[in-house]
Formats: sequence, C-alpha cells, structure tokens
Amino acid sequence: MTVHGDNTPLTAETLQKEILGFLTERIKTDVELDQDLFASGVVSSMFAMQLVVHLEEAYDIAIVGADLKLDNFRTVVGMSSLVLRLKGDTEAAGNA
Amino acid sequence: MPDRLADERAFIGGLVGARAAAWDVAGELPADLLHTMGAKGLLCAQVPASYGGLGLSSRENGELTAYVGSLCSSLRSIMTSQGIVAWTIQRFGDREQRRTFLAELTGGKLTAVGFSEPGAGSDLAAMQTRIKADGDGFVIDGEKKWVTGTRYADFVLIIARHGDGEGAAAAIVPVDAPGVHIELVPSPMGCRAAGHANIRLDNVRLPATHVLGGGGQPLSMLFTTALSYGRVSIAWGCAGILQACLAAATRHARHRQQGGVALAEHQLVRAHLAELLIAEQVALRACEHASGQWDSAAPDMGLMAVLAKHVSAGHAARSAATAVQLLGSAGAEDGHVVARAFRDAKLMELIEGSNEICQLILADHALSLTD
Repeated sequence: MTVHGDNTPLTAETLQKEILGFLTERIKTDVELDQDLFASGVVSSMFAMQLVVHLEEAYDIAIVGADLKLDNFRTVVGMSSLVLRLKGDTEAAGNA
Repeated sequence: MPDRLADERAFIGGLVGARAAAWDVAGELPADLLHTMGAKGLLCAQVPASYGGLGLSSRENGELTAYVGSLCSSLRSIMTSQGIVAWTIQRFGDREQRRTFLAELTGGKLTAVGFSEPGAGSDLAAMQTRIKADGDGFVIDGEKKWVTGTRYADFVLIIARHGDGEGAAAAIVPVDAPGVHIELVPSPMGCRAAGHANIRLDNVRLPATHVLGGGGQPLSMLFTTALSYGRVSIAWGCAGILQACLAAATRHARHRQQGGVALAEHQLVRAHLAELLIAEQVALRACEHASGQWDSAAPDMGLMAVLAKHVSAGHAARSAATAVQLLGSAGAEDGHVVARAFRDAKLMELIEGSNEICQLILADHALSLTD
C-alpha cells in the first residue's frame, strides 16, 4: 500500500496531512500536529508498531536501529521529518 | 508443492529422536544439541541470508516451529526466545550490532529475552529495570522473572527503561558479566526443559555497543515488536502440540480395544476426534493468516499475531486435556507426549500475553471498527 502518489512532490506539509489522516482514521480521535501522542495516551502499544509498519510501507523506507527513537514518533511533525530524512537518504543512495 | 524444509525437518527429527520424554522428566535439554541447531541457523531461521541466516519467511519458519512443537515444546521454546532476540536486534540494532550479533545467533551462540519482572508481568509498563549511561558505556540494574532459555544462554537481551526518561532500551547482557545473578526456576510446570531462570542485574556495566540503537525507543514499540514475533512463534508451536495430540489420540482410538471393539467405534470417542481435528485445523489457519500478514508487512500483523496466539494456545490447552482423557492411563505418565502437551499448552495460555491480555487487545480492536 502506497498512499503517496509518485508525481506529487513530498513536502513536510503533504506528509503531515497524510499522517494526520492515517491517525484520525485509525484511532478515531482528532490529534494536533505537535501533540505528544505517547504522553497523551493516544498511541496504544499495538498501534505503536503499526505506525512504523505503515510509514515503511506507505513511503517505501526502512526505519531501523537508532531511527526508532521515541522522539521521532512523539508527534506528527517528528514523524514527517523522519520520513523526509529517510526518503532523502534513499534517493541519495539511489543516485550514488 | 516441493517441501523446502524437508532436509531441516529430517535433521531435527534425527537429533530429537525419541528423547523428548526423557528431557521433560530430567528437566534439561542437551546443550550440544542446541549449539548444533543454532550453528545451522535453525533456532532463528527468519534471519536474512545477508546476516548469515536461513532467510525463511514467517510462514516457512512457522511450519518448522510447528514441527519442533509437535516433538518437544521445551526445544520449541528455545526457538521462540532465540527468534525474538534475533528479530529485535534486526529491528532495533544499528548496522554494526546487526552484523555482529546476528552472526553469533546463527553461529551457535544461544540467547534468551527478559521482559517480565516481579512487579511487571502482564503490565509491562510497570517495568523497573533501568539502563543508564555511565562514562562511555551503560549500567543496568533490575530483576527479570521466568526468562526462558537462560540456563543455556551465552547472553540475554534485557528490555528496560532508559535513563531517567520515559523511553526504553534493549541491552545485550553476557551471562558471565560481573553483577549478573542467575537462579534457575526449580520445577516449572510446563516446558520443563526450557531452562527458565530468574535474573538479578546488580550494577552490571555494559559497553555502548551492547545497547541496541543506543536506546531511547518508545517502550510500547519495543515490547510489542519483540512480543509479536514471540506470539507468532508460540501460535505455530501450539499448532504443533495440536498435531501431536491429534496423532496420539487417533492412533490410540484405532488400536485400543474396549468392550470388544476399537475405541474409535464408540461415538463419544469419535466426537472427541472430530473436535481435535477441528482445533488443529482452526489453529493452523489462524497461524497461516498471521504469518501471511507478517510476510506482506500488513499494518495489522501485530494484531493477527495476538489473534493467532490466543486461538492456538486456547485450542492446544483444551485439546491436550481431551487427548489425555482419550488415552487414559496410557497417556498419564509424565513425559508422555499428551501428558507433556497438557502441561506445556497450559503455560502457553499465560506467556507472551495471557488469554485475558489477548482478549483486551482484541476487544480494543473490535471497538475501533465502529464509530
């Protein structure tokens, strides 16, 4: 499943919108861009893993090792930065 | 369909032979057998070939796990633990840690994983064990209960809190590190030869390279990722218990005479056999689905792992009781395959999320499907 079309450029804004959409659909609660999802108890233990699997599948990235830190998943803004950085790494590697 | 795993199965079958009953009674597995299986990558067969593993899919590894589960649940438990640790390293370790430790786990080194604590069983959020940065390394303090496989392990993976914050960490702790105190669980009710132990960690110093990804992961993400692998593995292991019970019960029903006819001619016995077959097939379907979701990286893979584990463990526990009932005195001696199944399957309803914890997770999901 890839939610993001290949033709639209991936920006922080579109990413945040897509991640918010995924969260709202799955947890049926409105969340803010900078809301701490773990502190507010929005993210259950089962959903924490789903989030990683979803981001990997939707954006064709691998999130492993040190990238799995809490701070990268705490907020929607954090997750979108992580995806953008890993997409950048993938493309840089692909062009090398 | 050619059976890709026929050689592996034959190899393991040859190693185990008819010895599982004696291992159960003695409460110990032969360590050389574990090292032999480990060195062939069979204890964590999903490790990718690029890290020295067999690179099996979840489905293939599941079938192998069920086969081992049908022979000996203690040995299958060792596979579950080794697999959880390998998967957690693959997921949370950095490049160097994946390279180093996965090579060890497919090269004959043995491991175990510590989640539960005296005050944190089902409620893992109550975990007290803590890893703190100290100089250029880390120090770990705490206590872990009922750690499967510790008796044979070269190192254990300890899940703990990280620093003073809310994050978590997973650390590789060699069993011979100063400050590691291991006490075997004297007489476990089931999986008696799986080497369960309680571990006390008293100011244990670790190099920075032993904390996966440097630590600081969300606790929920860390333990759900690790446990999900364990749940799929246990689900398949219980499918193996069901296969063993079905085989023992049908063989007995065909050959044992009662009232001048074979047991199988009694309708009440046939009802039991039908229910055993249904249980075995239902558990297999749940396992296949969970592994299918795992292999296609579906977002509900963790949920389907819980479902499969709950279905399979429940059926195994009930069917093992049925098998003991059918075999009567023939299966009532400790070490007999159905006697072992009866004790081993009951434990499977407790570990990696008790029946009740599984129900809570599944109920949460059911509720999320409606507005």
